[in-house]
Amino acid sequence: MNAILAVARGTFREAVRDRVLVLVLGFGAVVLAMSRLLAPIALGEGPRITVDLGLSALGLVGIAIVVLVGTQLVHKEIERRTIHVVLSRPVSRSEYLVGKWAGLTATMAVAVFGMGAMLAAIGTWVLGPSIVGPIVQAAFMIACANAILAALAVLFSSLSTPVLSVAYTLGLYATGYWTNDLRIFARQLPGLSGEVLNVMSYVLPNLDVFNLRSQVAYGEGASVLHLALGIGYAGAYVAAALALAVVAFERRELK
Amino acid sequence: MPSILKLDAHRRTPTNGTPVSTVRPASGHPAVQVEDLGKDFRHPWTRRVKTAVDTISFEVPEGQTFGLLGPNGAGKTTTLRMLLGLVPPTRGDARLLGRPAGTPESRQDVGFLPENPYFYDHLTALEFLEYSGELAGMSGKAARSQAAELVERVGLGSAARTRMRKYSKGMLQRAGLAHALMGRPRLLFLDEPMTGLDPIGRREVSDLIRELRRDGVTVVFSSHILHDVETLCDRVAILRAGRLLALGTLEQLLADGQGGAEMVIAPRGSLALPPEFVGATIEPAGPRTRIVLAEGGRASALVAWLVGQGHEIVTLSRERRSLEDLFMDMFQDAHEVGGDPERAAGEPVAAREAGR
Repeated sequence: MNAILAVARGTFREAVRDRVLVLVLGFGAVVLAMSRLLAPIALGEGPRITVDLGLSALGLVGIAIVVLVGTQLVHKEIERRTIHVVLSRPVSRSEYLVGKWAGLTATMAVAVFGMGAMLAAIGTWVLGPSIVGPIVQAAFMIACANAILAALAVLFSSLSTPVLSVAYTLGLYATGYWTNDLRIFARQLPGLSGEVLNVMSYVLPNLDVFNLRSQVAYGEGASVLHLALGIGYAGAYVAAALALAVVAFERRELK
Repeated sequence: MPSILKLDAHRRTPTNGTPVSTVRPASGHPAVQVEDLGKDFRHPWTRRVKTAVDTISFEVPEGQTFGLLGPNGAGKTTTLRMLLGLVPPTRGDARLLGRPAGTPESRQDVGFLPENPYFYDHLTALEFLEYSGELAGMSGKAARSQAAELVERVGLGSAARTRMRKYSKGMLQRAGLAHALMGRPRLLFLDEPMTGLDPIGRREVSDLIRELRRDGVTVVFSSHILHDVETLCDRVAILRAGRLLALGTLEQLLADGQGGAEMVIAPRGSLALPPEFVGATIEPAGPRTRIVLAEGGRASALVAWLVGQGHEIVTLSRERRSLEDLFMDMFQDAHEVGGDPERAAGEPVAAREAGR
């Protein structure tokens, strides 16, 4: 456990000093500001547009950190051989990967919750304090969705090049919000292709579970059951992705 | 360039800070046990197999300084990486301090300096060493305290809070040494520790290794700098193309009747050597006589005979082969016999090995 925390702290410290993070947060701040600028042309829906766009900005910042930092996390360490520094210590490869994921997730979560706090302040200004709770819930669910993508990014990064890892992670991010539609489509298809698509719709991460944007824009939060199921699903998916990463990484040559 | 160790000119021991390690009793196990260890790499596309390390075996008792010597591509680094679990071996077994190599437990008391170390750009040396200490299982407070001590010890005190992306190669090497020493390991692996260091830095690292040996730390280092190995190591393994050519103490490797002896005597009367010294050359040297023996191993017998005959020995000098001579002979032979290191070695490693 100490080794995991040490690796996570090291990853966090390295990530927060990366200039990429500043750029991503700057981009998020610009989108947040734009959400207010667009309000006057939203035909009376200005406050809701503000929250909706703001939550989109949170999601984009989260996925940008996961993709830009996470997809090269392990690969960069292997290329530069800094991984030798870690794995020549009494640290197992599984502890290393879990620590990397934890550090990346912490970095992403701090950014998402930091921006969530800014959005909550703006939301309080335009919709009143009742919006704070739903925004916190939405930010939490965005962090859960990105924690899954972080685990997948660590998996790809430990096996592949950064370019391919970016492609895989973004591909899963895009399909992750369409798994329900994919399932419906699979039911329409006859035979084996329908079966395959159906299985895929369950294997791919269902990120739509974590999307509270529309309801929060109308000031509604999620039920406790929804939140609990989301946390459980995220935990299970992260555990499965990291277990796969560990199995694949265990015998990897670190030349 | 700051100095790694500030040494007392007379005592040749560190005078600043606490020791880099403390003397610890031996565990009863050899520090390193390697048995038939080997590594093949397979090309991912052609599937062609390249043997980086053939089947090698050796042991390093605790407290020794052991040198892995060989030219580039000899398999030194791959051997170290297999011992640390960074590269899984294709065959064979190894143990570190009695524990199976490759497991996190085996690395509990182990420090490692990688070749051409490259560390985290955004961390300062202090932060990096704290991180290293925490990875070694130290508490945050203990890691901070030892990191502060070691940055001073390796001469990085003034740059301790500078991010490492601004470090020169020599400074990175020093940071790497400090990293290897975090947690006060009982076994240290140093992969080309002198690389990137200026002559002063190399001298200081040599002194550090001697200090560690005094403290009972086992040091295994790879190098192709023969002088470093010759002056620091208790035992040496010479590798070529992944094969172990020779293994033993320097005395054993450099002896074997190699090198001659020369003596100058003040003769009493005429001098005629007995038949067992046939081949010795006798030359007048002014009022004295110079005798040169091709085989230095017979010098003692000749001295005894000369003294018995009443001749006075003025000087006696033995020609000692250097490690460089041995190395060059070994690798020249390898070229002459078509690059087969086993044939070049003349006899199997087991026969050449001694002193285990």
